[in-house]
Amino acid sequence: MDFNPCMKHQLIRKTVKEFAENEIRHRAAEMDQGPGFPQDLLEKMKPLHYFGLQTPTHLGGAGLDTISYAIVVEEISRVSAALGLCITVHNSVGIYPILRFGTREQQRQFVPPMAAGESIGAFCLTEANAGSDAGGVETVARKTDHGFVLNGTKIFVTNGGICGTILVFAVSDTDPSQSSVFIVENHTPGFSVGEIEDLCGMRANPVASLFFEDCAIPADHCLGKVGQGLKIGLTALDTGRIGIAAQALGIAQAAFEESVAYAKSRQQFKQPISRFQTIQNYLADMAVQIDASRLLLYRAAALKDKGRPFSAEAAMAKLHCSTTARMVTNLAVQIHGGYGYSKEYDVERYFRDAKVTEIYEGTSEIQRMVIARDILTRPV
Amino acid sequence: MLHVIVCIKQVPMVSELPWDPKTGTLKRETAQGMMDPSARRALEAALQIKADPASGPVRITAVSMGPPMAEEVLYEARALGADQGVLLTDPCMAGADTCMTAMILGTFIRNHCPDTGLILCGAMSSDSETAQVGPQLAEDLDIPAIGYARRLELADGGIRVERHVDDFLEVMEMDLPGLVTMDHADESDRYTPRYVALGGVEKAFAAGGIQVMDGAALGLDKEFNALRSSPTKIMDVYSPVTQKEGRVLTGAVKKMVDTLFDDYGKIISSAMGKDLKTHDHDEDI
Amino acid sequence: MSAEKQIWVWADYRNYFHSRVTLQILARATELAKANDAVVCAVVFGDHVDEYVAEYIAHGAKKVYVTDDPFLKTYNVESYAFLLSALVRRFRPEILLVGATRFGQEIAPRVARQLNTGLTADCIDLDIDDQGRLVQTAPSFGGNLIAKIITPQARPQMATIRPGTFQELPHDDDASGEVIPVPLPGNMPAPRVRCLTSELKPVRARKIETADIVITGGRGMGSKGKFKKLFDLAELINAEVGATRPVVYAGWVSHESLVGQAGKHIRPKLLFSFGVSGAIQHTAALADARFIVAVNKNPNATMMKLADVALVADANQACSGIIRAVKERIRH
Repeated sequence: MDFNPCMKHQLIRKTVKEFAENEIRHRAAEMDQGPGFPQDLLEKMKPLHYFGLQTPTHLGGAGLDTISYAIVVEEISRVSAALGLCITVHNSVGIYPILRFGTREQQRQFVPPMAAGESIGAFCLTEANAGSDAGGVETVARKTDHGFVLNGTKIFVTNGGICGTILVFAVSDTDPSQSSVFIVENHTPGFSVGEIEDLCGMRANPVASLFFEDCAIPADHCLGKVGQGLKIGLTALDTGRIGIAAQALGIAQAAFEESVAYAKSRQQFKQPISRFQTIQNYLADMAVQIDASRLLLYRAAALKDKGRPFSAEAAMAKLHCSTTARMVTNLAVQIHGGYGYSKEYDVERYFRDAKVTEIYEGTSEIQRMVIARDILTRPV
Repeated sequence: MLHVIVCIKQVPMVSELPWDPKTGTLKRETAQGMMDPSARRALEAALQIKADPASGPVRITAVSMGPPMAEEVLYEARALGADQGVLLTDPCMAGADTCMTAMILGTFIRNHCPDTGLILCGAMSSDSETAQVGPQLAEDLDIPAIGYARRLELADGGIRVERHVDDFLEVMEMDLPGLVTMDHADESDRYTPRYVALGGVEKAFAAGGIQVMDGAALGLDKEFNALRSSPTKIMDVYSPVTQKEGRVLTGAVKKMVDTLFDDYGKIISSAMGKDLKTHDHDEDI
Repeated sequence: MSAEKQIWVWADYRNYFHSRVTLQILARATELAKANDAVVCAVVFGDHVDEYVAEYIAHGAKKVYVTDDPFLKTYNVESYAFLLSALVRRFRPEILLVGATRFGQEIAPRVARQLNTGLTADCIDLDIDDQGRLVQTAPSFGGNLIAKIITPQARPQMATIRPGTFQELPHDDDASGEVIPVPLPGNMPAPRVRCLTSELKPVRARKIETADIVITGGRGMGSKGKFKKLFDLAELINAEVGATRPVVYAGWVSHESLVGQAGKHIRPKLLFSFGVSGAIQHTAALADARFIVAVNKNPNATMMKLADVALVADANQACSGIIRAVKERIRH
């Protein structure tokens, strides 16, 4: 067992770090005034494959493995979690389900523009009465002679304000137990974007409600087979969890680095506060949890790359990374004292950004459920 | 076909250097490496030559002499678009000064790349900053060289180079094979290095390993030892103490600025070459 | 071939009024010659260079080797390197020093390679040790590391010297020196590099690398618009403006202004630093700044620790305050 990253993963990290430090870091605080990302920044990211991380090269992507993918999301999130969110959602729950379940024709039609960053992906499941419980979904798909007509409202859709290709989870109008995922393009009549949410964190990401009013789509815009909705949704979430875990890890790492630097330079009682045991304990706890998070994350990613089951491991990674992000950013603010509560310092933003990682792509409670179910169904 | 050789040095990433603030020393051996910025500009120039249809077919070989970990910058070069990467590494090459480094690179090019048309180097690496390896390599190969290029273009089977040297703006020309060293960034920013595309990294590693050559493969003498053969010897390396016991001013801006000019006006005015009033504002306080 | 020890200084006169590095090296060579019991010699190549020869004698050269020939009218690194190597082989100096101008840094490595001897770049000090060897002190990492280097066996011991390192001797009209004309060798190779045009074109009035006062700004300046204030101050106090990496990448100023590992190294007498946190990539490039005034809201910023005077203040407000103060205090 080798715990050192291979040279490829090391180079991926340096590559992304260089771009993130040069092009994103100095704009992150301004982006946080939100919502939306600077167009020129997105333009720079497009040819570098940030929008086609795991998309195969013949569809215009980078063809990265999952560990590389996790590293990319971590490093982008380390400077801007909101942009990291855009990237991970677009790649994992926007593109990946089409790659996994789409027909060859659907892949050919939808994936290249997405991988090129020309069409941003979104996945919408959550509704006013349906979150962790997908059974509560009320968006309906009515079968017609030409295809389907969608009606319903989705809320808290990440990338909602800028999405071009939307995967919509909906139930059949005749049989509410039958769910499917439909591909809707943003120019489809009947589709509209609601107000951008005024959120606590991730403020650069235009999270929004999406409306579908008699939104007619052709039959071949049903992803995979009719009735595969739940399967696609759960697979998307498994993959999405790796991305959110990586995002949470990036936030934690950033908060940790700032804390170490601050603790070394901040003087109180005529010495750097890093000399105080309390601060040392904080830093040690942060380091341990971040390291543990990273190992859990890479294990889940490696399992996925090997084609082995990774659902429970992804849930563990997501649970631990997001808990760590909340804990580490909280301590980071504490270490910074009053400055940490001020927008002058980035840890304030990290603190706000971290919380939601415990909520979206399956709350921490849901992750525990997934993990427990895995434990209890294992042969003794 | 034009065969372009780009010489690339891996340098320690200064931002990652583990400094000991107490002793002011740094542990260079544990630092992460990166592609020398000026070599990266040389590679960028090569890539632009290759992308220009007027150049005809171009093949780019990136070569580095260094420890095994320097392989990384060659993968990076391949990720950016170099066709091939070659690492010259051998314990016998350790401790080479610029003279020996040029000799080793020269041996590689002479023995293994007889079709070389153009050699591109960074003018000056960010770590040792000698600007010597490029000219010495040209000397070793007995080919013409032009240093500090700001702009280069292939012309009539040779190469035309624009450069700014000691306040002289010069345009020079030479036949190939020849060597050009690339200057730092200038206003026009023609050779600002591109970012590495992620797909490029994946492709660079999928394309197989970097060609690694030791002294024997290269054709160096069995007895060769770069440290012994280097004419220069380093006696001592140290970090000058940079942290100062400076004076910290706080409070109202006007008051701080007045203190600055009252107490340090002489230093400021002498640097400016102009006379400044000091202590004229005492009554304001 | 002389039995006496000689210290040679290759005469770089092309941009004479701008760069006085040759005179500066002659001064130091004179010191070294005392310690080493050697003779300071200048080596001059060119066409009609009598004036320069006289100047070098007045500044400490006891002997001047001169190759005066129309063939040498323009600086050509190949011809000059060939000729210098030929002269060294013939007269065998102990030490050969060259100014670290760009041309000097082009010719010196080629000569060193032709002679199979060592060369230390951009030295900031030279000494003779107790064994009579030349100790060459050279910085790296933008001055964050200093190396002391010797060339134990190979001769001559060669170094390029950073301009501005040593003080030139006063011009001495009464000084005398021996002029040794050396004709152009018959076997000079034809130059392979053709110089199509060469025009004197100083980069603006002054360059940031050599400016006496530099103002650097970081993200703490707030915005592109506010950053412009630094140029107002620069004009007022005759300074050059530099910037940190985030500022350059944000497009507030061009890459030309980047001060740091990947940009310019500066060595001003006075540095004003506004809203710069002090990442090592940046501070590595200003290790030679003599007096530093830093402004930052955060008293713990690394840049503030490097400062001689640190003002804990908003960079923008402080900049305005300093502009006002200079205007009030300047005597016309």
